[in-house]
Amino acid sequence: MGEVIVITSGKGGVGKTTTTANVGTGLAKLERKVVLIDTDIGLRNLDVVMGLENRIVFNLVDVIEGTCRIKQALIKDKRYPNLYLLPAAQSKDKTAVNPEQMKKLCDELRDEFDYILMDCPAGIEQGFQNAIAGADRAIVVTTPEVSAVRDADRIIGLLEAHEMKHTHLLVNRLRMDMVKRGDMMSSDDVVEVLAIDLIGVVPDDENIVISTNQGEPLVGNDTMAGKAYMNICRRLLGEDVPYLDLNIKKGFLGKLFGKN
Amino acid sequence: MENPVVIKGNKHGITVFLDAKLDFETLKKFVAEKFRDSSKFLGEAPVILGFEGRPLLPEQEVEMLDIINANCDLKVIMIDDHDAEREERYKKQLDEVLMEIDRAQGSFYKGNLRSGQEVFFEKSVVVLGDVHPGASVVSKGNVVILGALKGQVAAGAYENENAFVFATDMSPVMIQIANVRARCSDEPEKNKEKGMKLAFLEEGRICLEPLSKKVWNDIRL
Repeated sequence: MGEVIVITSGKGGVGKTTTTANVGTGLAKLERKVVLIDTDIGLRNLDVVMGLENRIVFNLVDVIEGTCRIKQALIKDKRYPNLYLLPAAQSKDKTAVNPEQMKKLCDELRDEFDYILMDCPAGIEQGFQNAIAGADRAIVVTTPEVSAVRDADRIIGLLEAHEMKHTHLLVNRLRMDMVKRGDMMSSDDVVEVLAIDLIGVVPDDENIVISTNQGEPLVGNDTMAGKAYMNICRRLLGEDVPYLDLNIKKGFLGKLFGKN
Repeated sequence: MENPVVIKGNKHGITVFLDAKLDFETLKKFVAEKFRDSSKFLGEAPVILGFEGRPLLPEQEVEMLDIINANCDLKVIMIDDHDAEREERYKKQLDEVLMEIDRAQGSFYKGNLRSGQEVFFEKSVVVLGDVHPGASVVSKGNVVILGALKGQVAAGAYENENAFVFATDMSPVMIQIANVRARCSDEPEKNKEKGMKLAFLEEGRICLEPLSKKVWNDIRL
């Protein structure tokens, strides 16, 4: 029986889609059968981040409306045979589907897949309600900024009201140098404010931008963000993985001239 | 005459039936005796009292009331005189008295209140958890927060000026007591004094004070 995990945040631009792409790909690398569902109808971009935009024929709304079968709309990833994407429609909006339909769709996919990841749109309106409807678990993504943390708090409240069984926190785009200077909240600060379990910290890494533009998730490679995402996947599978040391190793010249 | 004075209960209080055949002085003795005997049973609830069976002059009514007050612990709020309009007014006053008792009592709320959550309590409330920024607690009585107060609180909503707010970590965005509102200073977060504090109303202003004997002495429930 597969598990449905929703990746949400409230605020936009904190890395929901990047996280969905990387966690999904990571779980596929760890030999789980995974489907990613983009619920951001009208503003889809999970397909772009995954580099699968040119393969879209049918979409989520087609499946819900019965225009096609689920199998026809699922796009098989070009790199991993056990990774699939169900893209959002671009010409409709969030009201094209309702929470009951999404729940039914999730339940149909449970038999076939180990993990069903829902990429949630920003906001708390219908799109959010659709995305969380069938979920067993939620990953709340936030950056260490007060505005994102405030929205995450609201989202956690709504998830609690919805009786979500597990809610995890992912702190994204952390900059250790700024934390050390006292200019940014540390992941501990964020956890203290939000009072939920941390599943991982992803450092701010320019490789993310490169990987997004190339449509190639970086999970599992040698970059800091790649390692951090892989650790998050392991923790999702129940492994006990220690947190990464996010301090950037300074080179020889950095050691000579760097202020510590 | 077997029972010259009979006490009967009704929705808002009690009615005392008086024997019309007896003279006032004798009745007074019977009433005193009756209420003294039933004192335990009647308790000390606030009630509306009515007389029936015998017309009483206003000063006789007052006399009777004094006797009843002297012989039992009931809190007689007013005399019921079968005037519908006045009765309505009395009922309202009774509700207010009952509400005052409610305020002094309290309830518990367990859990963190997150941004966007708003809770309202008729009674005083003890919150076991934090009140996050963007969350709001409103109570007609006092508010005690065993955790951090970083959101909004309204105590004594919206007329009880004796209400207070307590938090083990007091850093609210806004506090309201009765109809006086105060917002936190615009100083940056790290410069702010934190810690256990009590907020109360003094001369139309909201004061935040650390706990001390003097502060507790000034609190009226």
